[in-house]
Amino acid sequence: MVGLSLGEKHFIQGGIEQNLRSDGRKRDTYRPISVETGVIPQANGSARIRIGATEVIASVKAELGRPNALQPDKGKVSIFVDCSPVAEPMFEGRGGEELSTELSVALQCCLLGGKSGAGAGIDLSSLIVAEGKICWDLYIDGLVISSDGNLLDALGAAIKAALSNTGIPRVQVAPGASGDEQPEVDISDEEFMQFDTSGVPVIVTLTKVGRHYIVDATSEEESQMSSAVSVSINRKGHICGLSKRGSAGLDPSVISDMISVARHISEQLINKLDSEISAAEADEDEM
Amino acid sequence: MASKGGAAPSTYTPTPTKKTRRSPFFSDSDVDWLRPDGRGFHQCRPAFFRTGAVNSAAGSAYAEFGNTKVIVSVFGPRESKKAMVYSDVGRLNCNVSYTTFANPARGLGSDNKEFSSMLHKALEGAIMLETFPKTTVDVFALVLESGGSDLPVVISCASLALADAGIMMYDLVAGVSVSCLGRNLIIDPILEEESFQDGSLMITCMPSRYEVTQLTITGEWSTAKLNEAMQLCLDACSKLDKIMRACLEEAASASQD
Repeated sequence: MVGLSLGEKHFIQGGIEQNLRSDGRKRDTYRPISVETGVIPQANGSARIRIGATEVIASVKAELGRPNALQPDKGKVSIFVDCSPVAEPMFEGRGGEELSTELSVALQCCLLGGKSGAGAGIDLSSLIVAEGKICWDLYIDGLVISSDGNLLDALGAAIKAALSNTGIPRVQVAPGASGDEQPEVDISDEEFMQFDTSGVPVIVTLTKVGRHYIVDATSEEESQMSSAVSVSINRKGHICGLSKRGSAGLDPSVISDMISVARHISEQLINKLDSEISAAEADEDEM
Repeated sequence: MASKGGAAPSTYTPTPTKKTRRSPFFSDSDVDWLRPDGRGFHQCRPAFFRTGAVNSAAGSAYAEFGNTKVIVSVFGPRESKKAMVYSDVGRLNCNVSYTTFANPARGLGSDNKEFSSMLHKALEGAIMLETFPKTTVDVFALVLESGGSDLPVVISCASLALADAGIMMYDLVAGVSVSCLGRNLIIDPILEEESFQDGSLMITCMPSRYEVTQLTITGEWSTAKLNEAMQLCLDACSKLDKIMRACLEEAASASQD
């Protein structure tokens, strides 16, 4: 937790009021974002994102599994977030559990779409290998290495980058297996499939301090918030998920306003991220 | 338990916001589509509330929306655990659990780990925490039968239980959810509808203050649809609030007699 004196609190609040925050940013400016892909060789895809002093890693691992009986034509995706005590001493032991669960749930709600799989950032039917029998299970793990606010946006961006870095081995299903038999598969170690990540939404968190809302709050600014709304928006400008934090209630018209502000900001963020991701991939190829 | 109630549970419907634009609900292939329980798309299940369900608790409430049956008890304010540091505002501790027989498959509760923190977030903004410094109020919710829209029912019921316990609040909290199925918005979905939904939206709000305490959205939504769903929910919340208030008034007048 951040301990702030009364003077510091007034300074932060006053700065936000006057559209000049303590690090010189305006209310709607992000800190510099840097993206690095392919940081974990063991995973199928990975990325490290730094937004100011916040640093997170996302990894994507794919394993072959059986599809759910209720949805035989879809693969499975699960998202977990781990808050390491490396970032904050208070995350030690079970201290980070509450935050981890909150972040995991928010990410699942923002990226995985509805129960039927509609509106998901990841096309679940592309994960199927043999319908009703074999599918890919994607395990997306987020790790918080350093925490200075705005973890959800950073994790969302890292997952987007990691997914575009992910290569899933092409699988040959041996013909001949019939009925309930599990068919034999041959996993290629040369050919990889890439994901179409253009539909993966970005998450924009608007933190309300006083009467104004800011993007990309640092942890000091977050300690002054009355409430925060995280909106995930895809390239089409559609809302793919929303979650609210903070205790204070919000007028419905304020929420609508926040959503439209978030939509506007998301356009810039998507373009920025996409160019950063392609630059990072180009870097990786060179090495 | 519902049959014991003095007042017959009444169904309630939010007024359609735009009467002129009702056509999308009855076009194309959706013509002969009926909800399993025969409700209209914008019709909520009959809501039944009763306070004082548990004797030993400071306050408690029972709620029944169709097949969804929950019981919430509130304990405290009582001394915070020793390990907790001093706090000049009160603490709220929430826990939501499912009975083993709440779901069709025994012990296989839906992923409800997050329900406790969602309940906490929905109620926190409505309670005057500064009225009970150094102490904790415990809210324990038990879903006896899961019939869909569990969380909104738990939240509404919990706010009633808090009121029954005499905890100071700014307003009652009413929760309503809608599911998006294809192009249709259906309010207060049952379990079956929830499992096929393309998206969902849940609002909990303080109707008299017209403030949203919690909002979660999943699935893909366009702005127009989102606004329509939010209006629908807010309208339903204010109607639900009337039923909750009627329940409190009934309990108060019964205790005076």
